[in-house]
Amino acid sequence: MKCLNSKWRDDAGSIDFIQIVVGLMIVAIASIGTFQALNYGNEKMNQQMRYRKAISIARSAVEYWQGRIHTDFDDKDPRVLQGNLNQVVDPTVLDLGDPTTDLDDVECYVRYGRLDPIDLLETGAGVDYWRINVKVTWWEPNQSRNTDPQLVTFTGTMVSAGI
Amino acid sequence: MNAPCIKFRRDDGWTFIEATISIVIMAIMVLGLTIVLLAFREQLDRSWAVRVMDQYGNDVIEQLTHELRNATDVEVRGSVGNTHRIDVKYLDPIRHDIFLTSHWRADLRNVRITHGNNDRVDPAFPPQQLGRGESYEIIQFTLSQYAADSPNEWERADRNRRKASFLEASYDIRFKIRYTRAATEVGGRNWTVEKEYFNRVYVRNKNLIVKKGITD
Repeated sequence: MKCLNSKWRDDAGSIDFIQIVVGLMIVAIASIGTFQALNYGNEKMNQQMRYRKAISIARSAVEYWQGRIHTDFDDKDPRVLQGNLNQVVDPTVLDLGDPTTDLDDVECYVRYGRLDPIDLLETGAGVDYWRINVKVTWWEPNQSRNTDPQLVTFTGTMVSAGI
Repeated sequence: MNAPCIKFRRDDGWTFIEATISIVIMAIMVLGLTIVLLAFREQLDRSWAVRVMDQYGNDVIEQLTHELRNATDVEVRGSVGNTHRIDVKYLDPIRHDIFLTSHWRADLRNVRITHGNNDRVDPAFPPQQLGRGESYEIIQFTLSQYAADSPNEWERADRNRRKASFLEASYDIRFKIRYTRAATEVGGRNWTVEKEYFNRVYVRNKNLIVKKGITD
């Protein structure tokens, strides 16, 4: 301690070599931290964009089933009614990114659950409408495939043409 | 413990070596900081440009989807590039006895989508003060029947199994924008990002009596 006091007393007030090195390290650490914060924020915003697009894709799929139920629907066909939640489906592009390469594309999978006939007892008219449940799943670019995928669920209803 | 004390006590000034190394270190520090700040600004500019593009793409898609959901009929014609002119016919929401038509088209020269009485969907797009080398481009603005131009194989096959009443009322909206930051110096590289905005709409009223103007 005596040694350090002696040092400060003798200090002529100018910057020395050690102070410069320490200053350099502080600036470097601050720069790295700022960049990491920027990248984190940017990635979070991209993630939100993908989430929003996934909702849009899910809503488009519900729209498809609403059209099917309304105009082109066989309510006796079990292949249609059971849904395809456990089946392999073609991927849909969720985030295109750089158009010159496919490597940064993020793909999602659109599946629908069982189509539920809803019968309101008070109407006494059989099936009143159908409930549609669509699920969109995808993995984020830095997410391991061994973890649970991101999930968006969208539910809609539609009356059939006969009703 | 003696050595550092001696060092501090005898720190009476700068040697030539210390001064030289300090200058080199400070030069590296200033250069590094400049590069960091420039890269920081570049990242912010790119990120901002993509958000602006995303906002506009979603605005266009949502407004057209909203009109189609209330439409009674749609007419699609070819236009410049990979774009369509879309006439959306809908029942007057107040009078219920006349039909109105909204015209949608892509203005490729000014990079904007117009509708109604040549109104812009969003006056803030494209941004007025783009930087050097920056540009937006409309690559696609189309309204086609269900899965007519879908990249998904299952959907294309499914299209062949669907009834005409479904196909004539189900539409895919595709709106694709490209943002480019062209290199402004020798040896620079262009940076491009392209996004497609998509919605599928079932025009319900096409298969309902509202199409004939009967609403009561």
